[in-house]
Amino acid sequence: MRKLIEFIRSIYVVVLFVVLEIAAVSYYAHSSSYTQARLLARSNQVAGGLHGFFAGVRRYLFLGRENRHLAERVARLEEQLAQYREAETEARLDDYMRDIGESKYRFATAAVVGNTLNRMQNLLTLNRGRRDGIEEEMGVLAPDGSLVGYVVACSERYAVALSVLNTSFRTSGKIVDTEYSGSIYWDGRDPNTVILGELSKYAEPQPGQEVVTAGLSEYFPADVLIGWVESAQLNETRTSYTVRVRLAAEMSRLNEVILVADRDRYEIQDLQHSEQVEQHTRLN
Amino acid sequence: MYRTLPYLGLFAATVLLQVFLFDNLSISVYLNPLIYIAFIALLPLDAQPATLLGSGLLLGITMDCAMGAAGINTIATLPVAFFRPTLAAMICGRENVREGGIPSPERLGPRKFFAYLFSLTLIHHTIFFLFEALSWDLLFHTILRIVLSTIVSVAFCWIIARIFTAKLPVRV
Repeated sequence: MRKLIEFIRSIYVVVLFVVLEIAAVSYYAHSSSYTQARLLARSNQVAGGLHGFFAGVRRYLFLGRENRHLAERVARLEEQLAQYREAETEARLDDYMRDIGESKYRFATAAVVGNTLNRMQNLLTLNRGRRDGIEEEMGVLAPDGSLVGYVVACSERYAVALSVLNTSFRTSGKIVDTEYSGSIYWDGRDPNTVILGELSKYAEPQPGQEVVTAGLSEYFPADVLIGWVESAQLNETRTSYTVRVRLAAEMSRLNEVILVADRDRYEIQDLQHSEQVEQHTRLN
Repeated sequence: MYRTLPYLGLFAATVLLQVFLFDNLSISVYLNPLIYIAFIALLPLDAQPATLLGSGLLLGITMDCAMGAAGINTIATLPVAFFRPTLAAMICGRENVREGGIPSPERLGPRKFFAYLFSLTLIHHTIFFLFEALSWDLLFHTILRIVLSTIVSVAFCWIIARIFTAKLPVRV
């Protein structure tokens, strides 16, 4: 009996180690970017204040640049507004424009309080949450309107977004002014470039061409700037191009972001899950 | 356990440094120093294996919650805590380990302390980055990340060890 107890005493650390390690590995194996984002969203409820303080200090240092960007953007929007006013006047004259109610997209802004670049699964923490009308699956854009990521988890006061620099990130992209689209993803190598894969061989991408979202994805409006073609390579079977795209958003200097939600998407989703649709699918 | 208070301070300091400084540095994809491993490395030489394992678990879970990385820190810190007594005995000799004391350049001599710190950090970083990449495609890329991050982490852990042991007598 004493020997048995001694034997157990001598190996219980090993057993404990093996059990804990297996538990940790299985938890990791069953996790996805979504569980990781949820975990971060939850711990942000505790650490959020501290994060906010450090982000505030950092943001202060970039105020000048931020201001310049905003001013540029205001100028651009001002120009667009002028164009729209002109169009509106013309339309009213033609009695052509019908009332479309509120715009299709809903916008919000947020400050970045946590941002990593040096991992494979990079996530952004934003200081706005459900309380401020942020919802899961909202697109995240840089202040200049280029693609950054999309929201995957929200708490009351914070949101966590999947950065474009996350190997789980997927969306559709295309070369501007063409109809050839491919999928945008990150290969985990360079935080300044992403990949536009499975692009048709007829697209013939040239360095410097703009790459924008194709609007096929649920998260982003069409024609959001992603970046510029850096280099392109035909794959071995010569059926499609793999294009390296230089990101337009400066991921390492992201302080403020714009969030965008498609109002119609929720309406469409509600419609797709409505009873009538379900009845018909059940019949077939 | 003796010296609970300084170790609580060390735990808080390494976790806060990691979360609020090193995770925000974002110098390069290849440089991701994980300096919180200094906490495990600096636990007393004669600490019980179960204590080490418990500390490793606590540290891993804390970092997982703070980083939003489901389990990967725990996966990496547990083996470090588990193999630490064996490694310490191999590098510094059983007598030294039995005598106890805080591992530091003064206590073990710079060369032995470096070997001890480097091997612990290397184990930790190897497991961490391999599990993060989860593929053999980018093996060279991952190895580069492991090596560069280990070097930087060891340098910072060395500084932390010097600061932590500056006010404490070398032999407890």
